[in-house]
Amino acid sequence: MDILPQLLVNALITGSIYALASSGLSLTYGLLRILNFAHGHFMMAGAYVFYFFVVEHELALFPAALLTIIAGAIFSFLALKIFIFPFTAFSFFLAFVTTIALGTLLESAVSIVFGVNVKSLSTGASFESIEIGGVYITPVQIIIIASAIILLSLLACVIHKTPFGRRVRALSESEHAAQALGMSKNKISTLCFTVATLFAIYAGVMVGYETNLQPTMGNAYTIKAFAAMILGGLGNIWGTIAGSYLLGLIENLSIGLDFGGYSLPAGYKDAFAFLIILLVLLFRPQGLFVRGGRKF
Amino acid sequence: MEYVIHLCILISIYLILTQSFNISFGLGLLFNLAHVASYAIGAYATALFATELGANFFECVVVSMLLSGLFSLLIGGISLRLEQDYFAVGTLAFSALVSALLINWKSLTRGVLGIPGIPRPEFLSIDFYNNLNFLFLSGSLAIFVLIILYLLFQTPFARALKAQAESESATKALACNTALICNVSFFISSAFAGLAGSLYAYYINYIDPSSFSLTEMVFILTITVTGRPGSFIGCILATFFLVLLPEPLRFIDMSPGILGPMRQALYATILFVVVYINRRNIFPVKRSV
Repeated sequence: MDILPQLLVNALITGSIYALASSGLSLTYGLLRILNFAHGHFMMAGAYVFYFFVVEHELALFPAALLTIIAGAIFSFLALKIFIFPFTAFSFFLAFVTTIALGTLLESAVSIVFGVNVKSLSTGASFESIEIGGVYITPVQIIIIASAIILLSLLACVIHKTPFGRRVRALSESEHAAQALGMSKNKISTLCFTVATLFAIYAGVMVGYETNLQPTMGNAYTIKAFAAMILGGLGNIWGTIAGSYLLGLIENLSIGLDFGGYSLPAGYKDAFAFLIILLVLLFRPQGLFVRGGRKF
Repeated sequence: MEYVIHLCILISIYLILTQSFNISFGLGLLFNLAHVASYAIGAYATALFATELGANFFECVVVSMLLSGLFSLLIGGISLRLEQDYFAVGTLAFSALVSALLINWKSLTRGVLGIPGIPRPEFLSIDFYNNLNFLFLSGSLAIFVLIILYLLFQTPFARALKAQAESESATKALACNTALICNVSFFISSAFAGLAGSLYAYYINYIDPSSFSLTEMVFILTITVTGRPGSFIGCILATFFLVLLPEPLRFIDMSPGILGPMRQALYATILFVVVYINRRNIFPVKRSV
């Protein structure tokens, strides 16, 4: 039995979720030069808000999504104003520490409101898998892969083809020069941060449909997103997206393939990913996909 | 009374843990998020040596400190080659790697089940199962460690560590081996974290991976930041203050499921407020020469 195609598809699914989560993190790093530790917690909290609307209040998908987007946008604006902007001028440590505080606050708030037990967004129907050429895939997983491709290409178009994207690129390449030309760093980074948060929330909702939700998942996803970003090079969006798919591939291959009769137990998947980060940091700290100084 | 003794023992353990974090983080501005992993390694080393091999107290403490110290050299070897933000992520990956190993290496650590039945130390025919006696042991160790660290804070080594945080190139120009200094500070802070872990394992008699999660790291960070990074006395006062602060919550009628997150939220809020108030001067701005 050949499991390689199935593993590749699984890698694509995991990679899509990581890519949705980490592209926003990378965008934020490129513009504000801060590591947003709460990014994984945004995913978690956003997914719980969606859960609140869809499962607990039984709203239809569309209004629930709309309400979640509005809540996410307001929240990201406040988070940026309170937890990040007052600190960026002083030291990189500060915003990192405050976002750690924010992440912890979100985690405890969600634990208090929803309890620490596992919750799931998926209904029974979404688990019926379809077989395509020996590979099993559920409709949710198809949506994940397709929407990741659409959203990420949209992001690429905006960043590379529009005047707004040109400003984003200018600001992340040379902050002072861009500001001297009259670009508002505050406005642009607020907008980008909101987009990043909404991407994260979308990824969180997808995780909720694909597996399940837990208040502690925030830390895990933050670290995974950092891992993808390290693989691709800090602040380098396309590198980060490539890194996300690579991370998904590494994780799935590490448990699926057996190395001479010995295969890694499933629990080691995470440990293996962290080992990869350390190896990359040791040998190519600038990231795998960086040539020269350009970020985009 | 038993409750007060319990709190005192916790404080003595946390004094060692936070003051040792204060060396590398406070003085050297090395954002070592793997400190909690050193703590975990110390605790697990003690637990395993005491239960599996029946090692005595002194052997366990020495082994724990050595293993944690050696672990720090591993972190130092990889992470010190990285600049500030990469460094934080690198140590975070280390810490995540260690907790993933603790959870998954079931043949050694029993995974999430944890290691129960760690015997209390035995020597001088004192009954350390009595918490008061254990408090004398942990308290005197904490005071001993604090004296050593206080003396260390006055040495040229500490000044060199501070100097490299402000300007690495200027410190290097003064013929200071900054990499060596950072590694030594790592070794010391990590070895003492190992000691704290060892005491923790002996005191609680049972350890599992959840005691060494990132939440614990946030707690250590909150204490050190509240006490002002690099301040010896501040760190001690903050340890007393923050360990005792959530205790009144215990007496409010609340389900344990809420109590934990409430504590977490309280610490996170304090961390944010302290950083917000002191944002202008809490960390020295990197000076360019």
